Amino acid sequence: MTAHRAQWKGHLKIGELACAVGLYTAASTSDRISFHMLNQKTGNRLRREFIDSETEEVVEREQQVKGFETGNGDYIIIDPEEVAAVVPDSDKMLEAEAFIPCDQIDDVYFDKPYYLAPADDESHQAFTSMRDALAKTDVAAIARTVLFRRMRTVLILPHGKGLIATTLNYDYEVRSSKEAFKGVRKVKVEDEMLDLAKHIIDTKKGDFDPAQTDDRYETALAAFVKAKAEGKALPKPKPIKVSKPNDLLKALRESAGLDKNSSKNPKAANANSGKKKSAGPGAKNASKAKTKKAS
Amino acid sequence: MATSRPYWRGYLKLSLVTCPVAMTPATSESEKVRFHTINEKTGNRVVSQYVDSVTGKTVEDEHQARGYERGDDDYVILTDEELETVELETVRTIDIEKFVARDQIEWIYLDTPFYLTANEKIGDEAFAVIREAMRERDVVGISRVVLGRRERAVVLEPRGEGMVVWTLRYGDEVRSEAEHLTGISRGSPKKAVAALEAVIKKRVRDWSPSMVSDPIQESLLKLIASKKKSKTASKKSGSKSNREHGERPSNVVNIMDALKKSVAKELKSRKAG
Repeated sequence: MTAHRAQWKGHLKIGELACAVGLYTAASTSDRISFHMLNQKTGNRLRREFIDSETEEVVEREQQVKGFETGNGDYIIIDPEEVAAVVPDSDKMLEAEAFIPCDQIDDVYFDKPYYLAPADDESHQAFTSMRDALAKTDVAAIARTVLFRRMRTVLILPHGKGLIATTLNYDYEVRSSKEAFKGVRKVKVEDEMLDLAKHIIDTKKGDFDPAQTDDRYETALAAFVKAKAEGKALPKPKPIKVSKPNDLLKALRESAGLDKNSSKNPKAANANSGKKKSAGPGAKNASKAKTKKAS
Repeated sequence: MATSRPYWRGYLKLSLVTCPVAMTPATSESEKVRFHTINEKTGNRVVSQYVDSVTGKTVEDEHQARGYERGDDDYVILTDEELETVELETVRTIDIEKFVARDQIEWIYLDTPFYLTANEKIGDEAFAVIREAMRERDVVGISRVVLGRRERAVVLEPRGEGMVVWTLRYGDEVRSEAEHLTGISRGSPKKAVAALEAVIKKRVRDWSPSMVSDPIQESLLKLIASKKKSKTASKKSGSKSNREHGERPSNVVNIMDALKKSVAKELKSRKAG
């Protein structure tokens, strides 16, 4: 059995079968670089102070209460006990209400993952049966209960020898992708471009282990701070060249390694980009030249 | 939900193809019932301000700066403009380094979702070409980008006319599965699994956002509405008793019991139905 303390203990139930389980934090997000706020004039650290927005007097912690704005700067004071009273007593039961086919899961709702493991010896058989039944039917269980003082919906999926329960964001917290992309102009993609892009993808296919990623920003920032402290000139960001619609096919071809001439002769490729002011006619000529090469 | 302003603007790059893009959060807390901190004595909002820790004087926004701690109590002041020039390509560009099958990324690594779209007309076509090629190859893109002064690994996935970008957790932010899921047998009793499969198949449903409603938020809103009502009522009758902290009008207590019951009832009915 695991030596870690469970965040929550209760029962997992599918149909008439139930077993004792524990929820364990599976992931956290840590802040890394923390800057301190300073007074630019004195170089001293800053301290946060809480003041009354009208009288500007300091408000001590015991004087601070929670209020809900009803409009026009009017507030209704809410007692934390009143908020707590709205939360029903937990039945400590994660009971599957429904099962969702795995391909229907909208991961944008995902909040935080927790490992779900059997809490005692008697629960193992029921637990492994549930895990394998979910895996075999290729579905996720949806359950809800009072967790961490809110009524939360969790999505339960097999993971290795155990299960993962992911808390889900509430409906009002998620913007649907449909809505987010509503204003996006539909673009007809030319077959030749699509084929080239697919070719580029094929050359970049590989394996990826997220655990191996490091944060290069910390190193870059440390180098930046050192340069500044030594009074060295700070670097200017390099301008980024955007592919113009007229150059897109050329850029795709070069990326796919098909435009042999330009890769062997970088001068020719740079000739166009160098003449920024005459981009209009220059680009036209370039696309004409491409048509010739293609045929 | 209100359209959110771009959280990040930059460039999407695939090999030699580059297009301007914008990223907006896919989730937002803006519609959550939010409480403000109030000064109990005056009923006014409490706000925070920065003061100099030595002089005790208020420091205006324009004199607030970030300090990078080089040593004990030894800071190098950095302005926002300077921070933008930190030399790392991923500050402004999402360069897709690699493509992998979607199932290579375990869900446990997904941290925060964003939506990505082309930001200017000039990039529409390039963006669409990259997106459609990924869709046809059934792969997700792997890259990195600096967000909130951290370089994050990201996964890009075509979705509708745009893409979903997930920031990924670092290896040390994910707890080891071996630590938590030990001592569990790989096998399971066949009969029990078969019986459960039958139960599961009967209750397979289509995904619906109603599965993630928040009955407690609804109750909170009702609680607030009832308090608002009683506040207005007590004002009209000239009674001062309700204004005293700690004294609660009796109708509020009653409504809270009722709300609590209704949430519990909903929970039960969902399980039964």
